[in-house]
Amino acid sequence: MSRQWARLPERGNPLALRSIRWIALHVGRSVGRALLYPITGYFLVSATAARRGSRRFLRRALGREPSWRDLFRHIHCFAATILDRVYFLTGRLERFEIEIFGGQTILDQVASGRGCILLGSHLGSFEALRTIGVTVRHLPIKILMNVEHNRAMTRLLDALNPELARAIIPIGRPETLLQVQESVQRGYMIGALGDRVAQGEKTVRCRFFDRETAFPIGPILLAALMECPVILFFGLYRGGNRYDVHFEHLAERVALEPRRRQEQLGSWVQRYADRLEHHARLAPYNWFNFYDYWAEESP
Amino acid sequence: MEALTPFELEVARLLVETLHLEEIKPEDIAPEEPLFGEGLGLDSIDALELALAISKTYGFQLRSDDKENRLVFASLRALSQHIERQRTR
Repeated sequence: MSRQWARLPERGNPLALRSIRWIALHVGRSVGRALLYPITGYFLVSATAARRGSRRFLRRALGREPSWRDLFRHIHCFAATILDRVYFLTGRLERFEIEIFGGQTILDQVASGRGCILLGSHLGSFEALRTIGVTVRHLPIKILMNVEHNRAMTRLLDALNPELARAIIPIGRPETLLQVQESVQRGYMIGALGDRVAQGEKTVRCRFFDRETAFPIGPILLAALMECPVILFFGLYRGGNRYDVHFEHLAERVALEPRRRQEQLGSWVQRYADRLEHHARLAPYNWFNFYDYWAEESP
Repeated sequence: MEALTPFELEVARLLVETLHLEEIKPEDIAPEEPLFGEGLGLDSIDALELALAISKTYGFQLRSDDKENRLVFASLRALSQHIERQRTR
């Protein structure tokens, strides 16, 4: 399994994040977007590991050898969503066209008063979902986040949107999952990302594109223990000022029998991986796991 | 090796059964050894699963705002003592 992502600059280059924030707030989106081209070019040339990760993924998703133009487009898509995060976080949503698919799924869940797991991924941006959900619609959402791994991003978030910062449950503390349990009991939807494996986390191997890789079982196991539904979400950047947010019902209840527990967990995680692959094929440049996702490189 | 008290053994059985630790015998768990991280190597989902089993068996809920959580899960002995203090059945 690959944990290379924990070392990627994306996760905590304070200077880069501060610069993007400054540009976004003081220069404006059109100039900011123009500056993304040289920034993308710089990363395309200098970030060799990320480029290799991009190439491996695009080869599968496009079904051909990716060109430099494809790699550029991939990194540019990521940079554009980072810039837009600042606008989302500061509540400047009017400049975006956001289309929501399957929104009724969420509204029904909220109306039921029951908590659930909202399971996403690093395909696209979850910022549109969480800012609209938490700060515009005031839906009962909490977000499980690895705060320690991402201090720079966390401080930025605190400064830009304190309401959102309060909705975060930090991962990796003894009380983390007790907090999750209490929140689900009070009817909160718990946002989590299910496509990266953290240190020491239990995993299951799932087919993803043409070969297997490790996926965390945590989010599905959590839903099983709390006997709550799982709803998938995908927030995809469509270029320009357009974002699509998709909601899909994955499970009403994850029932596990003691003897078949591993097998049943595995098949639920596989369904998640299948939906992730489906959307990743349709929006390949939104794949923001710029590392050796299938752990194919020798360590 | 230090022997477990009868109640520690009962909690150890609950732990092994709940977390499907097939390769571990309840009576072999060292009472002062950490349950999480090193030691038995349990993770936070195990902690939740254990907390749910404890609430079902002993009739009280472990709470996230309890300052003692770190101590409660520190070892089998600490956990057993906490349950003895809090149990309602």
